[in-house]
Amino acid sequence: MTALAEYAAAPARRSILARPHVIPALLLLPCLAWIAFFFLVPLGLMCWRSFAAGGLQDYPALFSSPLYAKVMLTTVKAAILATALALLLAYPVAYVLTMSSGLRRGLILALVFIPYWVDIIVRSFSWLIMLGDHGLINKLLIDLGIVRAPLELLYNAFSVLVAMVQILLPLTIVILFGAMLRIDRTLVAAAKIHGASGWQAFRTVFFPLSLPGVYGAGLLVFVLSLGFYVTPALLGSPRQTMIAQTIMVEASDLLDWGQASAAGFVLLVITTTIAAIYNRYFSLDRLWGGSEP
Amino acid sequence: MSAAASRIALGTAVTAILLYLIFPVVVVLAISFSSGNFLTFPPPGLSLRWYHAITGDPEWVSAFLVTLKVGSLAALLATILGVPAAFALVRHVIPAKSLLSALILCALVTPPIVTAISTYLFFVPLGLNNSLVGLACAHAVSGMPFVVINTGASLRSADRNLERAAIIHGAPPLWAIVRITLPIIAPGIVIGAILAFVHSAHELLIAIFVLGGVGKPVAVKIWSGVQATSDPTIAAASAILIGLAILTLASVTTAQWLARRRSQ
Repeated sequence: MTALAEYAAAPARRSILARPHVIPALLLLPCLAWIAFFFLVPLGLMCWRSFAAGGLQDYPALFSSPLYAKVMLTTVKAAILATALALLLAYPVAYVLTMSSGLRRGLILALVFIPYWVDIIVRSFSWLIMLGDHGLINKLLIDLGIVRAPLELLYNAFSVLVAMVQILLPLTIVILFGAMLRIDRTLVAAAKIHGASGWQAFRTVFFPLSLPGVYGAGLLVFVLSLGFYVTPALLGSPRQTMIAQTIMVEASDLLDWGQASAAGFVLLVITTTIAAIYNRYFSLDRLWGGSEP
Repeated sequence: MSAAASRIALGTAVTAILLYLIFPVVVVLAISFSSGNFLTFPPPGLSLRWYHAITGDPEWVSAFLVTLKVGSLAALLATILGVPAAFALVRHVIPAKSLLSALILCALVTPPIVTAISTYLFFVPLGLNNSLVGLACAHAVSGMPFVVINTGASLRSADRNLERAAIIHGAPPLWAIVRITLPIIAPGIVIGAILAFVHSAHELLIAIFVLGGVGKPVAVKIWSGVQATSDPTIAAASAILIGLAILTLASVTTAQWLARRRSQ
């Protein structure tokens, strides 16, 4: 009797777990619930606050004030420059990484990863030391007789750019390296067999094939550079503040949470849009081996 | 341009770029051992006085303890939540998988200042401000992607037939995962957890807002220090962080190497 009852109950008990999406849903639920509670709800709250605190009064100020236009322009300019330079410098390193193997590849990877593991504050601080009037760079330039008086290398767009690119480079190199590893190199060999010189084979075969990786890395690095706070705050000029600094001042010094939330919301919309474009063209599915199980 | 000349040009360019990458790290390390009172490079002489200044200062010691506590809790939470999610994403057919992965990864591309003010505004009514646990809960969100990605990568390359063999021989499926699969992918999980810890240790803005003035972690202490640069203590604190980073990097590489050797 009990055996019969068990027999009857077993399929029912199994069937809940056997339904197609039950197990993955159970596995994903804690993680997604955590992200929703500690990330999405706060972001939603911030957006709601920016609208509700005083109607929409924080937004006209945002879009009409010359201050915001200037800050956004500075931010976008700095981000575009930093992204372009990071791509330009990362490309040859990633290329050499792709073409090398063994010890040499390991050594280059180590040199790329060590700075990646060093705090952004510390790296920006190091540039503060090196670019100062009595810093290493100026001392070197004077000793070599290239300049007489120390150059003003600090607290301008240059120092911010130098440090931002150095901070963004490791990630850019890693992304490009990953993309280049997926290129079928027998195609380059085929071009050479058919008489192309090394440079021709690179320009007409390897480079075009590497472009999707370059675009992907560019989008990602651009989004990251829009949010930079530490580097411009430490190395930049007060006349060229970036958007994250403005939000910080509004929130922590002026305690104007409505305005800070509104500016944060605008920044969030911009970065999310770019991230969505990235996800559309460079589907994140690939991380898990596509859509198949 | 001949092939040899272009090779030399490429080699020189890459060497210069690598020097540009590594030089800031070298400068901070060198200055931390300075015997002088100021941030000059090269240092006038070598000493350990700035390290003694840190180990003898209760504020710095407590900052390192705060970072250790918050980072470990954040990494633990990220691992507990992230590993099951990686299993679901790698092994199961899920509708809208791309959207779900985007959701898990999006904390990494959201500007930190936006996350910081929204977390602060959310934590005030909950009373989670000025709490290390609250900060760790927030850091766990951005630590999770590291765990999910690394666990996912290990899981994809692991041989599932070993688990199937265990099940065929009578092991319950869950037990087979715990006894067979988890040990195989352990290095990936550990790397993810370490990366989540490092991410938490480096995070500045959420920590500034959530912890306010009390119980500064190392990142916040260094940040308030560099804005009033005076002596090489900051460099020594940074050097300790760099040392820890290189140490963890070395242990991670060794773990990977051991795992590869075992699988061969």
